[in-house]
Amino acid sequence: MLTDVFDILRDNWLLLLVGQFPNGPLGGIACTLILSVLGIVLAFPLSVALALARLSPWRLLNWPATALVYIARGVPLLMIILWVYFLVPLLIGHNVSGFVTMLCTLVLYEGAYLAEVVRAGIEALPNGQMEAARALGHSHLGAMRLVILPQALFNMLPSMLSQFVSTIKETTLGYVINVPELTFAANQINNQLLTKPFQVFFILAIIYFVVCWSLTRAATALERRIAARRAGLAGAKPGKPAPLAVQPLSAEP
Amino acid sequence: MIAFSNVNKWYGNYHALNDINAEVKKGEVVVVCGPSGSGKSTLIRTVNRLEEIKSGELRFDGQNVHAPMSSSELNRLRSRIGFVFQSFNLFPHLSALDNVMLSPMRVRGVKRAEARDKAMQLLERVGLATKAPSYPAQLSGGQQQRVAIARALAMEPPAMLFDEPTSALDPEMVGEVLAVMRRLAEDGMTMMCVTHEMGFARDVADRVWFMDAGRILESTEPESFFRNPQHPRAKRFLSDLRSH
Repeated sequence: MLTDVFDILRDNWLLLLVGQFPNGPLGGIACTLILSVLGIVLAFPLSVALALARLSPWRLLNWPATALVYIARGVPLLMIILWVYFLVPLLIGHNVSGFVTMLCTLVLYEGAYLAEVVRAGIEALPNGQMEAARALGHSHLGAMRLVILPQALFNMLPSMLSQFVSTIKETTLGYVINVPELTFAANQINNQLLTKPFQVFFILAIIYFVVCWSLTRAATALERRIAARRAGLAGAKPGKPAPLAVQPLSAEP
Repeated sequence: MIAFSNVNKWYGNYHALNDINAEVKKGEVVVVCGPSGSGKSTLIRTVNRLEEIKSGELRFDGQNVHAPMSSSELNRLRSRIGFVFQSFNLFPHLSALDNVMLSPMRVRGVKRAEARDKAMQLLERVGLATKAPSYPAQLSGGQQQRVAIARALAMEPPAMLFDEPTSALDPEMVGEVLAVMRRLAEDGMTMMCVTHEMGFARDVADRVWFMDAGRILESTEPESFFRNPQHPRAKRFLSDLRSH
């Protein structure tokens, strides 16, 4: 069993790492990570905008944002992937690659989830922060930008990193629309070997676990360091991380 | 400087401010006192429009505060009214110095170097120049409130409002905050203070407003307020204070 695993790894490590690249599209772990990073990076500004719109007293902003968030959170991710996959080409008149389809879907989906994280982070701050900023003469948006968001986003860092880990796991669904990410690569290997599905998917699981687990660890370390700096204990012994103002939302598809 | 005429405010059916007519003159220190729930905080919060009023007129430095105005006009008005909160409300992600510098730079457009010099002077003035790089979490309550006072002063307001500035402090820290307020008063700042510190009222105030159930029942000099309160409610309030 173990020798099988090593043999498979030895013969296919490049495929798992970068897919068919440079003779085909970039795939494997590289594709998975690029998709996740781009997804979360592009979803972030969308989520801040959605959260501010959700908190706005203006219905014109509030209602569409709320509707978008509820729909994206109330529909399985796979459903959104299929909608984007079949609808976007109809709307824009030409085909788009699976990668772009998956990226658009992730941005929409993660944007909706992160928007709720951002909103919770903003609402968790004491009201006095906004009042103090307004009393000093800052505009609503100025107070948001200079006082509220820096604090809220800091409190949300762990939640955002756990959202990133979720995103990595969600990219596996790109498999159904032929995005050449890691799961797709593993399945290619499985189709070649035919007789060793357990070994192949064992490798796949281990790779996902190692990536996600180390990111979770990094998130915890980062959280501790910033919390220590905030508490003015820089250089002091690392303690338990401060309790989170915002609990991570579960975003499993 | 701050003039209330026939100001009324309701929370639902509750008459929070009942026909307020009063004025804080330029250079005057007014202490607002009264039992809890009497409308003191509501009153002071109407001055910079953290609370809206239902009817009447409120003028700050000649400007009608509750007149319809654009949000940028309101922001400009608020930037000229110093406000100190019971819970300090320092921005925890910024150092003491940055707390003081932020609004002059971002609201007034003051240059960084200039804002920095001014902020250091103000921190010096409240006795915290050495704490400039400290974050609020590293400061005691009394120090935080002194930074908050410096932050409000950085906008060079013609008047300062204090909403129970010492109520959230441990007793041994009350003195340092009151000392800063005392010095401000001596420098001629127009001040309106909601406070339970009757020693401060007696020594520093030019007038004491006694409030109960949304009304100002007495508005006199502290000497006569403490020696000879007119209203029975004020008599009871003062005797309750003395009895412990």
